[in-house]
Amino acid sequence: MLVLRRRAGESLLIGDDIEIELLELTPQGAKIGIRAPRETVVLRKELKIIQEQNTHAARGLESGDVGQALKQFSRNTSRISHRTDKHSES
Amino acid sequence: MPLIETKYFGTMSYEDESVFDFPYGLPAFEEEKRFVFIEIAEYAPLVFLQSLTRPSLCFLALPVLSVDPDYRLELSSEDRAALELEGQSERGGGILALALLSLHDGFPATANLMAPIVVDTRMRRALQAIRMDRRYSHQHPLRQPGIAPVCEGVC
Repeated sequence: MLVLRRRAGESLLIGDDIEIELLELTPQGAKIGIRAPRETVVLRKELKIIQEQNTHAARGLESGDVGQALKQFSRNTSRISHRTDKHSES
Repeated sequence: MPLIETKYFGTMSYEDESVFDFPYGLPAFEEEKRFVFIEIAEYAPLVFLQSLTRPSLCFLALPVLSVDPDYRLELSSEDRAALELEGQSERGGGILALALLSLHDGFPATANLMAPIVVDTRMRRALQAIRMDRRYSHQHPLRQPGIAPVCEGVC
């Protein structure tokens, strides 16, 4: 991994087409500006992780036997906690 | 009562009260804005999130507290604003958090505790909120039935 330091207002150039500018440093995090061709996809990393996980989750019932897949959740054998209180936010 | 075509449950009737709006869709499914929440007694507390527009799209989910009774929801200010929770009381405010499940052939299912589905049950509106901290995994393993919990201290 290439590691560089930048102060607010300073930039990085990636390839011929991409510029990353550190706009502002705040306690809530660094504000980053990106200049890139329209077709370049820019994503928060965790968003990509969740996209992939959702895509996988969506396939859950697809592969063949739904009954078989759901067996692990059947009331009779499940050890999943049955607490289902409406959740209050911390 | 309106009817919906589903791949796994056939044609079902549903109540409008079971339909939830997802104004932002879900990551990788941004166009999916309406889901009906189906609960089947035999599989409680499992919740099926069936898309109203795509019969073959159905997620499995569990209340986060069923996966981890000590789970505490942490919403970013953007997500709180998106759900318009600012004015609402947060204690007992009708907020439900569900974790989407992934099935893994031959392995225990996992729950996405990193990005729960946060549901405002009064407004019937929901979104998937990605946690800002690193506390929970997007693939939190569910305990398998029949496996004894690990003894801590003296058994």
